[in-house]
Amino acid sequence: MSRVISIHSFRGGTGKSNTAANVATLLAAEGQRIGVVDTDLQSPGIHALFGLDQETMRYSLNEYLWGGCDITQAAHDMTTSLDAGLRGRVYLVPSSIKVNDIARVMREGYDVGLLNEGFRQLVKRLSLDVLMLDTHPGLNEETLLSIAMSNALAIMMRPDHQDYEGTKVTLSVARKLQVPDVVLVVNKTPPLFDPEEVRERVEKAYECEVTAVLPHADELMTLSSAGIFALRYPDHPVTGLYRQIAARLTA
Amino acid sequence: MTESPGLVLVVDDDALSRLLLSRGLEQDGHHVRAVANGLEALQALRDGPFDCVLLDVLMPEMDGYQVLEHIRGDPKLRHTPVIMISALEDVDSVVRCIEMGAEDYLPKPFDPVLLRARINAGLARKRLDDLEQEYLEQVGQVIAAAAAVEAGRFDSGQLDSVAGRDDALGQLARVFQRMATEIRARELRLKQQVRKLRIEIDEVRAARQVAEITETEYFQDLQRKVAELRLDSDA
Repeated sequence: MSRVISIHSFRGGTGKSNTAANVATLLAAEGQRIGVVDTDLQSPGIHALFGLDQETMRYSLNEYLWGGCDITQAAHDMTTSLDAGLRGRVYLVPSSIKVNDIARVMREGYDVGLLNEGFRQLVKRLSLDVLMLDTHPGLNEETLLSIAMSNALAIMMRPDHQDYEGTKVTLSVARKLQVPDVVLVVNKTPPLFDPEEVRERVEKAYECEVTAVLPHADELMTLSSAGIFALRYPDHPVTGLYRQIAARLTA
Repeated sequence: MTESPGLVLVVDDDALSRLLLSRGLEQDGHHVRAVANGLEALQALRDGPFDCVLLDVLMPEMDGYQVLEHIRGDPKLRHTPVIMISALEDVDSVVRCIEMGAEDYLPKPFDPVLLRARINAGLARKRLDDLEQEYLEQVGQVIAAAAAVEAGRFDSGQLDSVAGRDDALGQLARVFQRMATEIRARELRLKQQVRKLRIEIDEVRAARQVAEITETEYFQDLQRKVAELRLDSDA
């Protein structure tokens, strides 16, 4: 059975794209067929982690939403270019990084309903095991749709007062949409914090499982937006935590 | 009088030589301790450090070679300059002493000008050695401080003596000390935050935000359709 997994957060900068890209790649390494969709049309970013640039980006989610292409034409097979000997496959549907396209999305919007149809086609025609949605932060119509469609939802947060209330709101909304499997991922945890203590406190505060407490890692910061961390550092503890998240979200 | 007096050990079994050397050195402002043989010399060296040793080669009980060998083999004494006292014609023993690590030699009978020149050269070398040793030790203190920072054991006063230097090493120590102190303060603040890690949420405000979203027509429509939106549905 295919699954839709959303990686979401109320605020930006929580590490959604990094987590989505790493989890997707680790699942592909295990032999699964993964589709990753950058639904953050207003501030796309995950393409950079996969090494996809404007020249090699034939079509994007934008063209699909504006009727310019089929959704599978916007799906770029990144398996070979990642050069990691993945047993499965990773397809990426990027959002356009052209300034005019981003301006058009913000000005005109798009038919949100097309997302649902496009996601279904992707899963079916590419025989995906997992469709992973890297969402725009906050709770607008498309992120609500992404959440509603999800079989599993990972809400990213930082141990920061700025994130607490928004995370609570997102969790409440996800529960009202009856997402079957919702977990929290705490990211960018300062090294002095005890991960177990953070996990306990967050779980208690939100009455929700915390799948992983990711530290603020220098290597991750250095590589952010420039590669897949788990491929560069396969034995790093953070990669182990990404594996933990991957296993939990597909369990 | 010399500008930089030192503490000199004179080792000679000949009483007249000891007297002449001691007097000449004291007239130049140096402090002198004079002993009559090698064993007494070793005892004197154990009692405290000297800036220079004037050492006769041929002595009863323990000769100058043995004393020199002992000095060069002792990590605490090895940098002490040793000037051998030797008869002018005894070139072979002078060469042997130089090969064993003596700094210089002073021929008998003593020429006061030559004595002054050799002693001053020896003392200057000793001061340079002392400065180098001190520098290396203080570099070691900075390295140890770095290890202490890593291990979380850094004491802010640990580098005070190095930080007082007016050269590049002193500047490095001051910068390091300041940065380590700032890091320590930041760590302490973070630790306090950890202890205070409380997730406080304004439940009323959060509920109001949830209501603003869930009461919209779009959301309620989504809620109605949610079952058919999921992939496990056939819709």
